Amino acid sequence: MIKAILIFNNHGKPRLSKFYQPYSEDTQQQIIRETFHLVSKRDENVCNFLEGGLLIGGSDNKLIYRHYATLYFVFCVDSSESELGILDLIQRWFFHSLEHVGNSVVTVFPLWLSQIFEEEGVLSMHKVFVETLDKCFENVCELDLIFHVDKVHNILAEMVMGGMVLETNMNEIVTQIDAQNKLEKSETFIFQSPRQDR
Amino acid sequence: MPAVSKGDGMRGLAVFISDIRNCKSKEAEIKRINKELANIRSKFKGDKALDGYSKKKYVCKLLFIFLLGHDIDFGHMEAVNLLSSNKYTEKQIGYLFISVLVNSNSELIRLINNAIKNDLASRNPTFMCLALHCIANVGSREMGEAFAADIPRILVAGDSMDSVKQSAALCLLRLYKASPDLVPMGEWTARVVHLLNDQHMGVVTAAVSLITCLCKKNPDDFKTCVSLAVSRLSRIVSSASTDLQDYTYYFVPAPWLSVKLLRLLQCYPPPEDAAVKGRLVECLETVLNKAQEPPKSKKVQHSNAKNAILFETISLIIHYDSEPNLLVRACNQLGQFLQHRETNLRYLALESMCTLASSEFSHEAVKTHIDTVINALKTERDVSVRQRAADLLYAMCDRSNAKQIVSEMLRYLETADYAIREEIVLKVAILAEKYAVDYSWYVDTILNLIRIAGDYVSEEVWYRVLQIVTNRDDVQGYAAKTVFEALQAPACHENMVKVGGYILGEFGNLIAGDPRSSPPVQFSLLHSKFHLCSVATRALLLSTYIKFINLFPETKATIQGVLRAGSQLRNADVELQQRAVEYLTLSSVASTDVLATVLEEMPPFPERESSILAKLKRKKGPGAGSALDDSRRDPSSHDINGGVEPTPSTVSTPSPSADLLGLRAAPPPAAPPAPSGAGNLLVDVFSDSPAAQPGLGPSPEEAFLSELEPPAPESPMALLADPAPAADAGPEDIGPPIPEADELLNKFVCRNNGVLFENQLLQIGVKSEFRQNLGRMYLFYGNKTSVQFQNFSPTVVHPGDLQTHILSLAVQTKRVASQVDGGAQVQQVLNIECLRDFLTPPLLSVRFRYGGAPQSLTLKLPVTINKFFQPTEMAAQDFFQRWKQLSLPQQEAQKIFKANHPMDAEVTKAKLLGFGSALLDNVDPNPENFVGAGIIQTKALQVGCLLRLEPNAQAQMYRLTLRTSKEPVSRHLCELLAQQF
Repeated sequence: MIKAILIFNNHGKPRLSKFYQPYSEDTQQQIIRETFHLVSKRDENVCNFLEGGLLIGGSDNKLIYRHYATLYFVFCVDSSESELGILDLIQRWFFHSLEHVGNSVVTVFPLWLSQIFEEEGVLSMHKVFVETLDKCFENVCELDLIFHVDKVHNILAEMVMGGMVLETNMNEIVTQIDAQNKLEKSETFIFQSPRQDR
Repeated sequence: MPAVSKGDGMRGLAVFISDIRNCKSKEAEIKRINKELANIRSKFKGDKALDGYSKKKYVCKLLFIFLLGHDIDFGHMEAVNLLSSNKYTEKQIGYLFISVLVNSNSELIRLINNAIKNDLASRNPTFMCLALHCIANVGSREMGEAFAADIPRILVAGDSMDSVKQSAALCLLRLYKASPDLVPMGEWTARVVHLLNDQHMGVVTAAVSLITCLCKKNPDDFKTCVSLAVSRLSRIVSSASTDLQDYTYYFVPAPWLSVKLLRLLQCYPPPEDAAVKGRLVECLETVLNKAQEPPKSKKVQHSNAKNAILFETISLIIHYDSEPNLLVRACNQLGQFLQHRETNLRYLALESMCTLASSEFSHEAVKTHIDTVINALKTERDVSVRQRAADLLYAMCDRSNAKQIVSEMLRYLETADYAIREEIVLKVAILAEKYAVDYSWYVDTILNLIRIAGDYVSEEVWYRVLQIVTNRDDVQGYAAKTVFEALQAPACHENMVKVGGYILGEFGNLIAGDPRSSPPVQFSLLHSKFHLCSVATRALLLSTYIKFINLFPETKATIQGVLRAGSQLRNADVELQQRAVEYLTLSSVASTDVLATVLEEMPPFPERESSILAKLKRKKGPGAGSALDDSRRDPSSHDINGGVEPTPSTVSTPSPSADLLGLRAAPPPAAPPAPSGAGNLLVDVFSDSPAAQPGLGPSPEEAFLSELEPPAPESPMALLADPAPAADAGPEDIGPPIPEADELLNKFVCRNNGVLFENQLLQIGVKSEFRQNLGRMYLFYGNKTSVQFQNFSPTVVHPGDLQTHILSLAVQTKRVASQVDGGAQVQQVLNIECLRDFLTPPLLSVRFRYGGAPQSLTLKLPVTINKFFQPTEMAAQDFFQRWKQLSLPQQEAQKIFKANHPMDAEVTKAKLLGFGSALLDNVDPNPENFVGAGIIQTKALQVGCLLRLEPNAQAQMYRLTLRTSKEPVSRHLCELLAQQF
């Protein structure tokens, strides 16, 4: 079972937190800090697994994490999850969040980046994408996450539910999200009134 | 700052987030947030009705503020309103808010549940999924109560959409995990198993997760899933990489589902049906074969997906532990990974191999990788990987490679990360003890440990070396010589001084013949360290000195001089001062003979599980030491673990606190602050075993009584129960005792020790002793799971007192730690004083959280009135005289009953003695009958009791007669005792 999913940046600022076990708000923040402390002191190119911090349940739990550009993606899981499986899940989620958010918010990405998207095809763009992000554009994904917190949560909800993995087929997820977006578009068209917005 | 998109998303939100990000200081951020909170609050409170879009925007802002770690105490109502919107976006954001910011306000929960109910009934799959997600993400008991019965129906309904089924399965799983009692098993279970055949892979995946969880508690209900899972797995494994289309991930067909199916199979033993088993073995072989094929893609995703299946396959093979061929293949595969360039694979390979090492089929195969693993320990850059390597070395250790592994671990210790030093120390200490063939090697190893990592050598470790040296006379001389040499180092660790001081005090005479280590040299060496040491060590050294006076009379004058010095006799520390005064007097007053008796060499320690092992278990949870399992597997290694066979002739009287439960996880019971003087001489060295004290001072029994003397009931009501064990568990809301409570209580009427209660989570053991009207009880709470118990709070109340408002029993409890680690045991001490006679036993209520779910349990504490019996011997004549004095009808209670157990005179005798009365021979004219007498001691009064038990072997009946001076006591004793035969 997945106990918690945390995203924070290189300075430990939380960018998304989702707990699948009840913790008080205070404890949640402490867990984020503790996890950041554990993960951020690790070198690059070491393995992606380590034993969980005390607050989240100690050595019975594992932290499985990835570090992309300015963000740490951390899944805290118990022994019933496959480490490599979760690792891939993070990757898929991350890219599809970005891809998805990116498609809907065209202006966030410069044109040349979208071209790489298309040339490389959806499946193989990841590596290029990460490297590009790392080099030139490191803030994009972080800002995307916080500006589109609802969307990122949405995509996450399609993948993980109550701490269990719900769906791993990206096409299925994309179909769901697209359907939701269509709904949303038709609704916002009628309701949005940007003039008074503030 | 990249452009914020316009026209899409919420501009106000974007602006707010930008503002926050542009804040230069924490104060500015807080100011901006407070401004925004005020703004939102006024909007929510304003007269103008907000449209859905604005509500959504403000709720999003609140979510963001919450993420930054600020408390949000409003907005819940607006979120709940969003739930009942017909707009997807609004509904969705409402659900998001609720599942992130759950609130326990019951009115709110009622409204939320209402909205969920409507959405579940809406037949709109999107809305149904939102509702199911919300239930799963909150997962509270209230939600379980409201929906646990509906969800199975949605799950197996023929007309549910695939996405709804998928969500329903996981939702049910979540509710079951949170509160298993709420999810009723029923005919739906069979239909859930058939979801494994579903067309939709997503549904299958969700169903597998659900079944994996449900079948752990109800294996029989779900056992048909094994063959279905095998056939599903085999179809996936043998499919071409294009068959499963969307579920093929980087040329690997359905990796996630395969992993889940392999996990499910690990819940069951190997299939019995030969055909199913054959098919499964074929699958496992296919996976192992595929691992050897060249990769279809260079992408890390491809290898991750492939290897996720491979590792799970290996886990299943290890779980079955029955196919030597597969086990060895698995081991070879892992061996390849040990040298893989991907750090992740090396990590996982080390981890899997650890479990493989405990299988008898593959233990040897694992051992062949020893050099690679040692190399990993030395050269890996990543501490996580090094830790796994250390674990594996520990698991693969046996007699053949112990010396190599221990020396490598010692070498690693010099540079090891601080975080894992203590664990490595424990492991080295255990391996050294377990596989020691020659004990001088053991002593060397432990002294090396202290030298290299003295700060990380816990008390258990150096207690243990003393125990072993004390018990093995062949190593004592060597140990004395070695510590003497070690102490000559100019700077040596304080733990070394402790071990050195103790060993020289006991066995210094064995090396005294050598002029280089003559008694005065030994003494001055020790004394040169004295002033640098802590109080505890100095106290130990003082005991060494008095032992020296006995061993080496020639040092007496010097040592008396030291003891007499003002710095000792007037030491500010009470313990040191007292020791100095008492030892000085002892050395001047006592004759040589007395001195020799009092300061005799320590008797051997009783054998028991190594306390270090227990400590490691406590640290790592039960799964930790595969070497533990190893010792169970391999009976020949057992004696090594213990060091020596117990030798009953020399072992001192069985300790009253001897470990009955076989668990030694609790801190030693001899925890009271050192009461007085010489009695506690040396006790600090082996508080693990109070019984084996030297001939000095009071016997443990006396010590026990002296500790009991002041139960100090300044405020009796306060003693009734631990005043505030936890805010939520006052004595009032203690639940009724469990149904078995009476039966469990009955087992303890005639005995004081044993296991009071046991279920799958928790074991409660009891040890108790009673003297006169005082008692002391140790309760041992053992966590049988691998998960920490939280908010652990045992409480004792005496409901009898609450009814009568007369305090009959004062129970003083010590608070226990609120967390109990997996596999650990905590101990609670209860001091009990019987103030007057009582009929109902006190209740013990235990509450804790296990995996987030609250657990509670109420038992009857085995304290019955007969525990305060004091046996009384008397002659026949006296007996009859008193019997006649108690001739009022209400003073007598009689019962005639059928024997529930075989009628054995010896057993009956033992039970009567256990009950507490004296057995009087030659009183009853019929030798078959039993006659007993005793006095029940309470603080307020004493109740004399006479009893007579007449067995009738032919009729298999007994007649029991009790006469006491108090009517209720007669009846109560009669009932208690009658149930024992």
